[in-house]
Amino acid sequence: MKSLTLDHASYWYAATDSSALRAVSLDVAQGEVVALVGALGAGASTLLLVAADLAPRVIGGRLEGSVSRHDRSGIVLPTPWTQVSGMAFTVWDEVAFGPANLGWPAHEIARQVDRALERLELVPLASRDPATLSGGELQRVIIAAILAMDPGLVLFDEPAAELDAEGAALLWRLIRLLAKEGKAILLATSALDALPDVADRVVWLEDGAVRAVGTPDLLAEGAACDAGLGTSVATVWRTGGLPAPYPLTVAHAVRGRR
Amino acid sequence: MTGSRLHPFTLLAIAGALPALAWILPAPDGAAATLVVSLVLTLTPGARLGLTGIGASPGWRRRLVVFRMALLTAAPFWLFLLLLHDVPTTIATGLRITTMVATFVWLVAVLEPARLVEAMVAAGWSASIAYLLAATLSAVPVLKARAQRIVEAQRCRGLSPRGGIPARLRALQALALPLVLSALHEVDERALALETRGLVPGIRRTPLAPPHDPAAERAARWALLLVCLFTLVRRLIVQHPS
Repeated sequence: MKSLTLDHASYWYAATDSSALRAVSLDVAQGEVVALVGALGAGASTLLLVAADLAPRVIGGRLEGSVSRHDRSGIVLPTPWTQVSGMAFTVWDEVAFGPANLGWPAHEIARQVDRALERLELVPLASRDPATLSGGELQRVIIAAILAMDPGLVLFDEPAAELDAEGAALLWRLIRLLAKEGKAILLATSALDALPDVADRVVWLEDGAVRAVGTPDLLAEGAACDAGLGTSVATVWRTGGLPAPYPLTVAHAVRGRR
Repeated sequence: MTGSRLHPFTLLAIAGALPALAWILPAPDGAAATLVVSLVLTLTPGARLGLTGIGASPGWRRRLVVFRMALLTAAPFWLFLLLLHDVPTTIATGLRITTMVATFVWLVAVLEPARLVEAMVAAGWSASIAYLLAATLSAVPVLKARAQRIVEAQRCRGLSPRGGIPARLRALQALALPLVLSALHEVDERALALETRGLVPGIRRTPLAPPHDPAAERAARWALLLVCLFTLVRRLIVQHPS
């Protein structure tokens, strides 16, 4: 079942003439992880804002085409320190801020918060003041805060930007787990090397429009490598002058050599 | 009882009553009395660590920081009053303004925004309005911390906040512009974040830990209101007898 459907969606930010999204058609099914890739300014963050019903409803601007959402969405933005509520003096309260706003009973809030803290390995930090956390810890708190609201559609905008390698690995595993539980995931990321293991589909955006859609194998194609959107292994392979098809990951490369 | 353990509405009532009485009571005696009370309040325990500059210092030192901050914030008002008015007017108005400033500084130091939101939501207020009020109170330490970070960053780039007036003005500009622009930028992002975290008009937020509101405190709040009204009426009758 589709969780999100965009049909020829175009979007203009307020007071601009050029569109940030151009006739984008895309759907995300429950249980599916769709990754948005593209150069800076390609429109991935804008697409997430439209999908989250924040653009144009909250930030203004103009939308053409249609956007259908069948699940409640939650979005994780790239800068964690602007996403804290400012109303909580412990990590537990920070994560509970969203569920409390949904008016859930206290026991359900506690259940969801404890579960989210556990999933993001934040239990030892539950009583810490969010203001004392590192950027990576705070990013995990924000992700937990969104997951505690149990959205059916989870939107991630560069979620690994503040995370170290261990934190990023935890996040990618969690995203696959969320998809397995039936959540629809739309992910904008420049961590291309993670996508072969995380994404079911990759959408390549260019100048606000969809240039290509495919499996993560797309990230090993020559055109993607030329645009700086190939995985590290594919890019090295190509730069080294080795023949196509380029391997997507080290495992693919090893298999190919055998 | 420490200031921060009082119910948030009680703290707000005290913070409202003292400045009101400072302006209602005849100066300088009445205003001096309210100022003494407000300065004593700044020395009571309960200041939050979040108030920048307090840090993890021991209790008495923390209280002195709040006391000193109140006086330092009020000092420029005295200077302007002295330039504009004669000495008696300066004293009368200065005492009143200092009461207002000291009470506000004390309130910011002792009132936890989260407790205020919980109290307002438990009392049936809209969560959005509660957040707006609490965010205003928590903005002072946040902006101060950010200003400090910007000053440090500008120093790293060779800007000195010391020297003559032109140098200080340049330093002020280098502080004010990034401070205002970054605050505006953050407002946009925070609005999006709060929206996605369910803080929208018309919600019925679940109070997580509503502060205890004892009957004695409720009575004290009503008493404060009555004292202010009584003093106001008495002052009007004394000043304008029929």
